[in-house]
Amino acid sequence: MNAIEVERLRKEFKVHASRSGLVGAFRDLWTRRYTIVRAVDDISFAVKQGEIVGYIGENGAGKSTTIKMLTGILTPTSGRIVVNGMNPHKEREKFVRTIGVVFGQRSQLWWDIAVQESFRLLKKVYRVSDEQYRRHMGEVIEMLEIGPLLDKPVRKLSLGQRMRCELAAALIHNPPLLFLDEPTIGLDVLVKLNIRQFLKQLNERYGTTILLTTHDMSDIEALCERVIMLDEGKIIYDGSLERLKERWGQGKRVAFTFAEAVTAAFLRQLTEGLNVVWKKGEQPNVWVAHVPPGGVPEVVSRVAARCALNDIHIHEVPTEEIIRNIYEEGAVHG
Amino acid sequence: MFYVSVFFQYMAQYMKTKLQYRADLFVEWLSDFMAQAVNLVFLLVVFGHTTLLHGWSRDEILFIYGFFLVPYAVFGAFFNLWDFNERYIVQGEMDRVLTRPLNSLFQIVLERMELESLLGAVPGLIIMLYAGSRLSLSFHWYDVFVFILLVIGGVLIYAGIFISLATISFFADARTSIMPMMYNISSYGRYPIDIYHRVIRYILTWVLPFAFVGVYPASYFLDKEEWYGYVFFTPVVGAVCFAVSVMLWNAGVRRYRGTGS
Repeated sequence: MNAIEVERLRKEFKVHASRSGLVGAFRDLWTRRYTIVRAVDDISFAVKQGEIVGYIGENGAGKSTTIKMLTGILTPTSGRIVVNGMNPHKEREKFVRTIGVVFGQRSQLWWDIAVQESFRLLKKVYRVSDEQYRRHMGEVIEMLEIGPLLDKPVRKLSLGQRMRCELAAALIHNPPLLFLDEPTIGLDVLVKLNIRQFLKQLNERYGTTILLTTHDMSDIEALCERVIMLDEGKIIYDGSLERLKERWGQGKRVAFTFAEAVTAAFLRQLTEGLNVVWKKGEQPNVWVAHVPPGGVPEVVSRVAARCALNDIHIHEVPTEEIIRNIYEEGAVHG
Repeated sequence: MFYVSVFFQYMAQYMKTKLQYRADLFVEWLSDFMAQAVNLVFLLVVFGHTTLLHGWSRDEILFIYGFFLVPYAVFGAFFNLWDFNERYIVQGEMDRVLTRPLNSLFQIVLERMELESLLGAVPGLIIMLYAGSRLSLSFHWYDVFVFILLVIGGVLIYAGIFISLATISFFADARTSIMPMMYNISSYGRYPIDIYHRVIRYILTWVLPFAFVGVYPASYFLDKEEWYGYVFFTPVVGAVCFAVSVMLWNAGVRRYRGTGS
């Protein structure tokens, strides 16, 4: 069964285009000009139950608008949405009981009261029974290691501590579907790791479906088997991260540190026919070869046979670079 | 029933928060009390000179003012909507409200609750007792219930008008200065209505029915029989006002969900 089904979903905003200058401002008083901006442009996708999907795109690509439509905050201009078998913008109150939402930039918790008091209020709002709360939240609190924070007021927590509490707060009613909008924004590496690990556990233990947006590619790499990439309101890629890397990863990067100076022409001649691009590294005598898939052993043996080497590093093209390439070149074909 | 229990849960939470800051609470009470005292002195000074205003005696005017303070205090405790635009639309808190399984207006009322405003009813009651005893008003046991009913009516009128004003935020993107203006207009309701021009009287009765929060209901206790029709109209006007505002609110939320912030 699908947790999310979206078909030809579209959202248009009317944006008031103001004229320049004082005269323009006066004219705006009488006749307003509007331009219609299509924030989300006929997108279709489905998310199966238990999937973790990364929803990525640049700022203004339409990620937040989609999330807002999926969580029932915004009504779509056209198209069909079914989330948890319901239409999010009808029966709002019934629907939101089946989802959890974390907006990284916004707090769910009450600023002045202790974390557990916030939990208690939410427990009441979501009509969670004492027994259910104890069983489920006990585990969540343990996994997120927030036990010691529970009696502190939110305003005294660090960002990382607060974020973990936010996550717990969104899970009070044990929703089968969790929306995370920038959950790791501004967090340090350790907290990020903790949160990722938690989300993985949550997904394994409860089969919670997770849709997250992020700018941090390491989040995606750690969590998502599938990514949906958005650009200017359109889906430009929907598929596994692996395939994305295969198609766009463009092989490997091999960095050679030579014992003595070499020239680009010499290196190019050396690897002729292997389709290698050489670029000068940042340190002296370092050259980086952009090698197509499968070409690494041949390149290394040819270079090592002719030159004295101090060091060799082989690494994959970082996901961030892949994503950047895709955006620069436009849509992904296939 | 569920809503009632949620309400008490929020209330308990609110009190816990307030009690955490004892000093703060104390200062707040003190300043509230001072503000009320200043108001009272001002009123006594003003009405000390005029013994009779359009057929109303000083004590009657005081009584009306005292009555007005009670629904006003209750309104102030539960309908803090004056910064709604800033807090919920501009800062986007409305999104969070919409992801919770409770009526959005109810949630905002709960979140913005300020129970200490209820204290403002105390000077009101004192003034009524003082003015009432000087007027030697007759009092029946059922007057307590009439009083409660009229206060509820007044609160609903206030709530209705200010909720309707808050809904403007859903439709207009700019901030408006209507809120403070309305607070000013609302204070006209606490003086005898027939001192005003016909047009203003009409407005305060049928357009912005602030007269139903002060003069009209208070005249029941002052035995002004010519106003009795209005007196018992108070809860009706309150119910209508509130119902209209809830409808406007729902339309506003629908619009918000169409356009976003």
